[in-house]
Amino acid sequence: MGETREIGSRSMFENYEVDGLYDEVFSSDGRPRKHYSPLMHRLKALGKDAFEKRRRMTDILFRNQGITFTVYSDTRGVEKIFPFDLVPRIVPADEWDTIERGLVQRITALNLFCQDIYHGQRILREKIIPPDLIYGAKMFRREMFGVKVPRDIYIHICGTDLIRDKDGKYYVLEDNGRTPSGVSYVLENRSVMKRVFPSLFSAYRVRAIEDYPFNLLQCLKYIAPHHVDDAGIAILTPGIYNSAYFEHSFLARQMGVELVEGRDLVVDKGFLYMRTTAGMRRVDVLYRRVDDDFLDPLCFRPDSVLGVPGLMNAYRVGNLALANAVGTGVADDKAIYPFVPDMIKFYMGQEAILPNVPTYICARESDRKYVLEHLDELVVKSTNESGGYGMLMGHQATAEERQKFGEKIADDPRNFIAQPVVQLSQHPSLIEDHFEGRRVDLRPYIVYGQKVIVMPGGLTRVALRKGSLVVNSSQGGGSKDTWVLEED
Amino acid sequence: MTVAQEPTPVGMPGIFGVAGDSKSKPDRPMLARDADAMYWMARYVERAEHVARLLLVNSNLLIDVGDLAPALQARQWQSLLTIFRTADLPDGPDLAQRVGQYLTFNLDNPNSILNCLTHARENARGIRENISSEMWENLNALYWSIRSDDTPNRFDDSPDDLFRSVMTGSMLFQGLTDQTLAHDQRWQFTQLAKYLERTDVTCRVIQTKYDILKSNEQIFDSTLRNLHWMAVLRSCCSIEAYRRQYLGDMDPTRVAGFLILERNFPRSIRFSVSGALAAISAIRASSRGNVIDPTERILGRLDAQLEYAELSEILTEGIPAYLQRIQTTVHEAAMAVQQSYFMH
Repeated sequence: MGETREIGSRSMFENYEVDGLYDEVFSSDGRPRKHYSPLMHRLKALGKDAFEKRRRMTDILFRNQGITFTVYSDTRGVEKIFPFDLVPRIVPADEWDTIERGLVQRITALNLFCQDIYHGQRILREKIIPPDLIYGAKMFRREMFGVKVPRDIYIHICGTDLIRDKDGKYYVLEDNGRTPSGVSYVLENRSVMKRVFPSLFSAYRVRAIEDYPFNLLQCLKYIAPHHVDDAGIAILTPGIYNSAYFEHSFLARQMGVELVEGRDLVVDKGFLYMRTTAGMRRVDVLYRRVDDDFLDPLCFRPDSVLGVPGLMNAYRVGNLALANAVGTGVADDKAIYPFVPDMIKFYMGQEAILPNVPTYICARESDRKYVLEHLDELVVKSTNESGGYGMLMGHQATAEERQKFGEKIADDPRNFIAQPVVQLSQHPSLIEDHFEGRRVDLRPYIVYGQKVIVMPGGLTRVALRKGSLVVNSSQGGGSKDTWVLEED
Repeated sequence: MTVAQEPTPVGMPGIFGVAGDSKSKPDRPMLARDADAMYWMARYVERAEHVARLLLVNSNLLIDVGDLAPALQARQWQSLLTIFRTADLPDGPDLAQRVGQYLTFNLDNPNSILNCLTHARENARGIRENISSEMWENLNALYWSIRSDDTPNRFDDSPDDLFRSVMTGSMLFQGLTDQTLAHDQRWQFTQLAKYLERTDVTCRVIQTKYDILKSNEQIFDSTLRNLHWMAVLRSCCSIEAYRRQYLGDMDPTRVAGFLILERNFPRSIRFSVSGALAAISAIRASSRGNVIDPTERILGRLDAQLEYAELSEILTEGIPAYLQRIQTTVHEAAMAVQQSYFMH
């Protein structure tokens, strides 16, 4: 790799391979891209031992502050530290500008779509999307048909996953418009970086992200019903054993709002209350981190103890605001995802700024045929799982696995989509005592309130297993701090 | 769909966030579940400190008294188990080692230092929005220091150092609680918990040690007796304060009197009950206005008794019996708090 041997401590980048992928740091001639040069120079000056020392500091900080998450299937223990890689991912201002405009456009369209789907359904009547895809969507909620939501906003918080292909272009992999998580790691990562590596920041002008909780709070206030002055705002969490509990607690603290569980709440005569030492206190806005299915045993799953009986009543009569609204899963359904550029065209008269990854919808006959014949080239995903579960990496699977998956598709085609393998970009990541390339994606967070605010940066997730393209935290991924640079 | 008018709110009468300027805004009340966790977090930290201190003092005492009859040594170690209401010690040779292990690490012992700190930390984790980050980080660090893989080695090397670190950790936690938390309802629950626990343990320490000394009166010479009472004072972190008042005079009546009735010293039973009463009054005032609540009534009466008590009366009744009554009352008060504030 020529020139790069000089950059960074020689032994740390010694066997660094790029292999035909898009590397975030190094361009094809082996030199660091312009915005990474100052970082690489600093790393070189630092050396292996100093770097290792900082890495250990990070571990201690994360553990002492309890920045953890819970993995369901792991037998070893319940709480884990989310692996953090000290080398930040840097996005130059001009690249970010496109991303930001694209994301604002996208979430606006998705909100208009939700509003339309649960009311006039113009997009169906004009035959832009086949109705059976909507009505067949697991997350479409008939209960929301005709319900007026505060300010007509459905998706208040969205985490959209972006990836870069070999050509260096950003694509939207998927939107997460139900209960996206990870923003607390973004904020804590930044805070840890500032403590452990303050000197790096002096070489760059990094856009601040610390106002996210403030923006979120403003959004929650904005949707308070009856436009009350002193709205009772709370975050609904499934509890300390939920994998994202740290984030629920973190956001509650940052915003100064109450953190409640279903058992703290009660609905009385159409209003929602929480049980306090001073009796019942009304809740006007609930930022709910509980899935639709578990929200109200009288309306959805009757065996749920995480929700509140009667919550949907309070919601439907307009005495309660929920962020995100119930039923937004119809918009982040993977079978609806291919139609987002059509939504942008239909509602806003614009071309999508950020492209989708080409997608085959197995519910469509011709697509299904193609998919079943090309399983070895495609990534097949179940339309409603998250966390990287229910996937087939066709090019890495055995013939038997492909055969079995093919049967699943034939059985329930509506539940599957397929995409060509995207060669995610890679970023140098610290593996033991040296750097190797690991695949990354980017999840920026968007808050849709009175204004649409895209957090500059987001979670860069790293697939820590070599060659792996799966970056979800519940499957063993890690993260990096993401720096969006100020305009020069 | 018409929007319903807000009905009269369900639950206790009281202040309900009347619209007005921020100066007149009442304390934001805690979730009942959070108050429960806050209370138990504080109570477990205080308990862990007591266990650690008792272990430390006890092992030092036995060094001082040199070769006691083994039966008496055994009695001393047993007394620790009695104080913490635990009985099932695993069998084995070295009693001192076993008791030490049992009270420090044993997961089956609900009052072991490890269990206490685990519960404290778990409670804290569930209410992080209610405590300061300094409180959390220090409690978390204290927990991990006891929980880490090399803790048994540290215990073998120098148990005293381990006990001291727990004591220091607890006092640091309490200091941080006082200095980084607004003295609102949240803080009041920690004070209530701390003082109830302190009252309870102090009662049991005096009571248990009193029993030992009483039943071994003929064996003990005055030196031994003095050492024992000094140990009792040390167990309650009170020896220096006592000496400032009464110099070196280890008269048992005086010692008991000091620990029970001393007005100004934060480790006395009188002071702790007073502290608990102040806390519950504040809690009641901020959540229920002027309706006196059962806990306050119980503690108020106990506080008044201690305020006007005479040592001679206590001695007539007998110290163990007197202390038993106080423990029962504290227990009633704790149940009442549960009923009034934590039921959800």
